[in-house]
Amino acid sequence: MKKLKASMRSDLTLTILVFFTIAILVFLAITLGPKVYNGRNFQSMAFQISEFAVLAFGMGLAMLLGGIDLSIVANANLSGIMCAFVLSNAAIVASLGDGATIAIAVIVALVVGTVGGLFNGFLIAKCSVHPIVATLGTMTLYNGISTASTGGNGVSGFPKAFTNLGVATVSGVPVLFIIFMVLAIIVIFVMTYTGFGKKIYMIGENHTAARFSAINNEKCIMIIYAMAGFLAGVSGIMISARVNSSKVGYGDTYQLQAILVAVLAGISPSGGKGKMAGILLALACTQILQSAFTVWQFTPYSKKLIWGVMLLAMLFVNKIIDYLDTQKQKQLLDLQLAQDAE
Amino acid sequence: MSKMKDSKKKFTFTTEKFLILIIVLYCIVVTCVNPGFFSAATLFDMIKSSAGSMVVAMGLLLVIITGGIDVSFTAVAISSGYIATTIMMNTGINNIFFGFAIAIIIGIVLGLINAVLIHVTKMEPFIITLATQSIFHGCLTTFVGTKNIGSVDIPTAITKFGGARLFTMTDEYGNKTGLSIYILIVIAVVALTWWIMYKTMLGRSVFALGCSAESARRAGFNSWKTHLFVYAYIGMLGAIYGMLSIGGVNACNPVSMVGTELTIIAAVIIGGAKVTGGSGSILGTLLGVFIMYLFNQTLVFLGFSSSWNNLFLGVVLIVSIVITSYQERRKNRRLFIFTE
Repeated sequence: MKKLKASMRSDLTLTILVFFTIAILVFLAITLGPKVYNGRNFQSMAFQISEFAVLAFGMGLAMLLGGIDLSIVANANLSGIMCAFVLSNAAIVASLGDGATIAIAVIVALVVGTVGGLFNGFLIAKCSVHPIVATLGTMTLYNGISTASTGGNGVSGFPKAFTNLGVATVSGVPVLFIIFMVLAIIVIFVMTYTGFGKKIYMIGENHTAARFSAINNEKCIMIIYAMAGFLAGVSGIMISARVNSSKVGYGDTYQLQAILVAVLAGISPSGGKGKMAGILLALACTQILQSAFTVWQFTPYSKKLIWGVMLLAMLFVNKIIDYLDTQKQKQLLDLQLAQDAE
Repeated sequence: MSKMKDSKKKFTFTTEKFLILIIVLYCIVVTCVNPGFFSAATLFDMIKSSAGSMVVAMGLLLVIITGGIDVSFTAVAISSGYIATTIMMNTGINNIFFGFAIAIIIGIVLGLINAVLIHVTKMEPFIITLATQSIFHGCLTTFVGTKNIGSVDIPTAITKFGGARLFTMTDEYGNKTGLSIYILIVIAVVALTWWIMYKTMLGRSVFALGCSAESARRAGFNSWKTHLFVYAYIGMLGAIYGMLSIGGVNACNPVSMVGTELTIIAAVIIGGAKVTGGSGSILGTLLGVFIMYLFNQTLVFLGFSSSWNNLFLGVVLIVSIVITSYQERRKNRRLFIFTE
């Protein structure tokens, strides 16, 4: 019990998030009950959330470094479109068959996504461009490539086997959701238990100090943005599989939501704080609220308002926690100084 | 800053030079391909459509120089514009100055809200203004309304203002073109911004805060006042931007505009303003906005469809930021600065 209390106090943001999520779940269980809590709704939520959840993890990785990845949705769309070009190409399908085409398409999407992310990392690490500016530039560029290559229209006409992937389930659980969970566990493991993860936290906390502690800053930054790009590529594949077409401008609202989820998870926008596992909770919290909003028939605009208010409130809560933390440390320091003086 | 560069007498590849080079080359290419491009009508049309962005870019420039950023200005623009238009319709006061006054008051209030939040929480301005953007726009669409005000219902004062011209000419086909009255507003705002930036203590404090907040504080600048000023200023200019674009299309759709803010920020960054603060120029910003609209409106002359617009803009943006940042990085490395 004491241990639990200590660990709760050590990560106050996560504790608040846990209680907040539980409160929302209980509140919705009382007010809406079976309207939200039924098998079908959970399944449709799992379908909807996968593509966005992968993006949220990518955004979380970038924010952990004290950066941000504005290009993540554009990158996902670009890789989705490149994937769609391979899939809808009749010549490739005819000569190689469905299976090989899908494999090539998936590899193409992942490579495009990773290269896109790596380019972000290159601009940020090697050219010292500010993350907001660099990813804003690449966002415009990736959107530009997507629009120029498609003319703004959707690309569709995929092999049946590929679109089946979007609706396939394993004993009720969507395949897309399983893919997301596997990726999430890998990311959480890497960021929590490996030396590489520790380095990322250090760089996020203080770039300069990390550089002078023999950490290869530039390499780590490039790897993280490449990871974010890879996740964007995965998300692009999921979108094409689920929606059965690829289009520029799909999922534009994901940008704000991904940042919201990362902040809600306790990842500080200035970097170095927060746990990746928090993103899972934050996702559950926002997704269940989302479906409650659907039951209550809120307009998309009022949803936007609520997300905005939540983001701001969460920032305030984090700020207050930070403030209390520094106050406590100051007190401890004063106490120690007083003892030393005696 | 510019004086220092002149005194060096060494050719440095600044962003402004790069942009002017691009504009000149591009204009030559377009004129060769399609001589119809080089006409007064194209220029006038471009001035009118870019006026709003140029106005708001001035405010954005000041915010970026302080080291902040504001992505909520489109929400401010459409909120203040829509509310002002609605009030004009409901009260029956058909006067453009009344509309502007109301819009500007709303814009300043919303800007002050941003300033207070940013100064009090000391959080990343990007995240804060992203939140306020959805709050402002959400409030407008939830509590005021989402009804589109079409060209029939809109007050005649706005229609008249949008169509007003300084002078008109008739080309050989009998089409009337003319210089829109919008240019006066752009000139006034640019002059005001120039005066604030280079001739007042307030402008000094904007630069000082962007270079180093701590040094500015020790030098006796009040960062609280500076923050209040810059965010209120962009709120005000955002409101003007809203009114200009409502007048420009002669309709008011509350779900338009929001979502275009990153393009205008991109234009300001193309112009050489540094998001870490402390540097930026009016000329560069105007060139940045100009180049954006140049691509937007003239790619058609080259035979490209408008979907190529973003690609060109993205390439120019990345090249421009790499030039600025990489020079800065090399300079810092020479001085053994490893902060970034």
